Amino acid sequence: MLNGISARRGLLVLFLVCSAPGAVLGQALPEGPVRLFDGKVAVSGEMIATGGNADEIAFFNYTDYEHNALRMVRFGVSGVYNPVNWLALVGEFRSEDLDPPKVYAAYVRLHPLRSHAFDIQVGRIPPAFGSFGRRLYETGNPVIGYPLAYQYLTSLRTDAVPATADDVLKMRARGWRTSFPIGSQTPGPGIPLMSGFQWDTGVEASWRTGIVELAGSVTNGTLSNPRVADDNGGKQFAGRVAVTPTIGLVLGASVARGAWLSEIVAPSSKPAQTAFGADAEYSRDHWIVRSELIWSRWNYAYDLRPSSRDSLDSLGAWIEGRYRITPRVFLGGRVDHLGFSTLEGSTIGVDGLPWDAPMKRVEGGAGYYLQRNFVIRGVVQGNWREGGRDRSRTFFSGQVVYWF
Amino acid sequence: MPTRFLPTWAALVVVVATAIIAADPQPVVLARAPGTIRGRVELRQPSTEGGLRVAVADLGMSATHEPPDRRSVVYLDPAPRAAFDTREDVRPRMDQRDETFVPHVLPIVAGTIVDFPNNDHTYHNVFSLSKTKTFDLGRYAVGRSKSVRFDRPGIVRVFCDIHSHMSAFIIVFAHRYFSLTDTDGTYRLDNVPPGTYTVVAWNESAPLESRRVVVPDAGGEVEVNFALGRR
Repeated sequence: MLNGISARRGLLVLFLVCSAPGAVLGQALPEGPVRLFDGKVAVSGEMIATGGNADEIAFFNYTDYEHNALRMVRFGVSGVYNPVNWLALVGEFRSEDLDPPKVYAAYVRLHPLRSHAFDIQVGRIPPAFGSFGRRLYETGNPVIGYPLAYQYLTSLRTDAVPATADDVLKMRARGWRTSFPIGSQTPGPGIPLMSGFQWDTGVEASWRTGIVELAGSVTNGTLSNPRVADDNGGKQFAGRVAVTPTIGLVLGASVARGAWLSEIVAPSSKPAQTAFGADAEYSRDHWIVRSELIWSRWNYAYDLRPSSRDSLDSLGAWIEGRYRITPRVFLGGRVDHLGFSTLEGSTIGVDGLPWDAPMKRVEGGAGYYLQRNFVIRGVVQGNWREGGRDRSRTFFSGQVVYWF
Repeated sequence: MPTRFLPTWAALVVVVATAIIAADPQPVVLARAPGTIRGRVELRQPSTEGGLRVAVADLGMSATHEPPDRRSVVYLDPAPRAAFDTREDVRPRMDQRDETFVPHVLPIVAGTIVDFPNNDHTYHNVFSLSKTKTFDLGRYAVGRSKSVRFDRPGIVRVFCDIHSHMSAFIIVFAHRYFSLTDTDGTYRLDNVPPGTYTVVAWNESAPLESRRVVVPDAGGEVEVNFALGRR
C-alpha cells in the first residue's frame, strides 16, 4: 500500500513533471498531452479546484466518496501506452480533496480487427451505459455540479437493507448518512442511480459502423455501485446503442441489469438493479444541448410491508446546454429532476409517499477561457427537496480548471 | 610607320570620351541587384507535446491521424521598405480533413482573408484565443466554409473546440519576406534588396533563432542555415 502522504506527493510531482515541457518552450502551460518513448506513451493531466459555500446540513452535492462536488480539489493523471497499434494499456489516477490517489481507470484496450472499428476493453472500464459517464468533465460539463442521477445519494445501501416500508421512509433525504436494520449497522452514504465518480470492473466490447455505435459490458458491480471485486457472485450486463442520424445529433438508448446487493444481506437471492436510459445531444453554431433520462429499479427479495412492493424505482432526467457568447466567454446551465416511486408505510406515508425525497436542481453560470485548456467559471445552483431538515439551498461556486 | 599614329588615335578617343562624359550631368551608378537568401532549417528534436489527449473514457481506439506537418517559417526582421509596397491578392485556405487542419502552418500577410472549409465527415468548430486574432466560427457541417480576416501581425493558434487534437498556426506578417520550409526543411527568400537584415527561423516546437545576414549590392545568393531546439 502506498503511504497516503507520499502517494499524494507522487501524484502532484507527476502532474508537475508532465506540465514542465511546455513551460520550457516558453508557453505558460502545456496545451496537449506529453509524449514519451517515441510517442508510444502519452500522459495527460487535470487540475480542478472548486470552492463555494459549505453544505453540512443538506449534503445536496455529496458524492459517493463523501466529497462535496462544489467544494473539491481534484488532481488526475492519465496515461496510455501503445506498444503496438492494436493494443493499449490505459490508466488514470485521481485524488479528490488531496486524499490518496485512487485508480479511476485501468484497463487493456484491444483492437483486433484492423478494418473494423471493433474494440474490446478489459479491466476497470468506462461505463457502456448512458452518456454523461464517459464525458470529460473539463469540456463536457457545462456547469460545475453533476447531474442528480450521477451524484445525488439516495437512501439505499448495498450492505444494509430495510425490513419494512417504514424503514425506507424514515431515511428519506438522508442519503448522505443512512442506516437500515438488516446488514451493516454502521451509518454510511447511500448510492446514486449511477455513479459518476467511479467505474466498474469487467469486460466490454464496442463496434462502430456508419451512423451506429453499439457497446456492451459485463461487470462486477452495478450502475449504482461499481466495484473492483465482486461482492455477490452476480454480474451486471449493460448495453447501449447510439445513432447519429445527421451530423450534430446523437441519440442513444441504454439498458443495464445486475445483482446489486452485497452477499452479506442477500446470500442466496440476487435481487437486481435494472436501469433504462435515453440520451440525446444536438449541437449547432455556438450551441450545444444535451438531455438524458435514467430510470432505475432496485429489487428486494421480499415485499416491503405493509406495501406489496418488492422494488423501489427512481427516475432522473435533465437537460443542459452551453452557449459560447464570445470565443472566451460561455454560458452554461442545467435543469435537473430526480423522482421516486411511492411506497405505503404503516406509520409514515400511509397513503403513499415517494420512498426518498424528490429533488429539483437548477444550475447556471458562466465561464471564461484564459487559454484553451485553462478555464475559470462560476455558477449559482438552486436545490429544492421535498423532505429533510434543509429543503432548499442555494450555492455559489467558483472553479479553476486546467488540463493538458 | 603605322605604329607611330597609334598614340594619336588613342589620345583622340580618350579626349572625345572625356568630353562626352563631362557633358552628361548624371553620375555613374553601379547596378544594385536583389538577392536571394536560402538555406535549411533543421529540427534537433521532435516535439514532445500534442496529439490526441489520453482518451480514458472512450469505448475504443481513437482513429489514427497523420501527425501534423510541423514545418518552420523563415522571415526577415525588419523587412526592407519595398516589402510594404505590394500586396498580393490571394485567399489561402486552411482545410479541415480527417480531423486535421491542412496546412498545419500557414504564413500570410496582414489583411489576408483565410477560408476554413469543412471537408471532413464530422462537425468542426474552428476557434482561436490568440491575442493577434480571437475568433470562434462555431460548429458547421461538412461542405460549408467560413472565413476570417487577419489584420494584425503575430501568431494565431487555431484549434477545434470538438477535437482537442486538432491545432494549427497562422503566422501573420506585416510584409511579404517570409518563407514556409519544404518538407526537407529548405527555404528560399527571393528578391531581397541589398542590405543588412536579421533572418529569423520559427518553429512551434523550438525557441526562435536569428542570424545577421548581408545581401551584397551585386545580389546573388546568401546561404543561412538553422538548427532549432536544444542540442
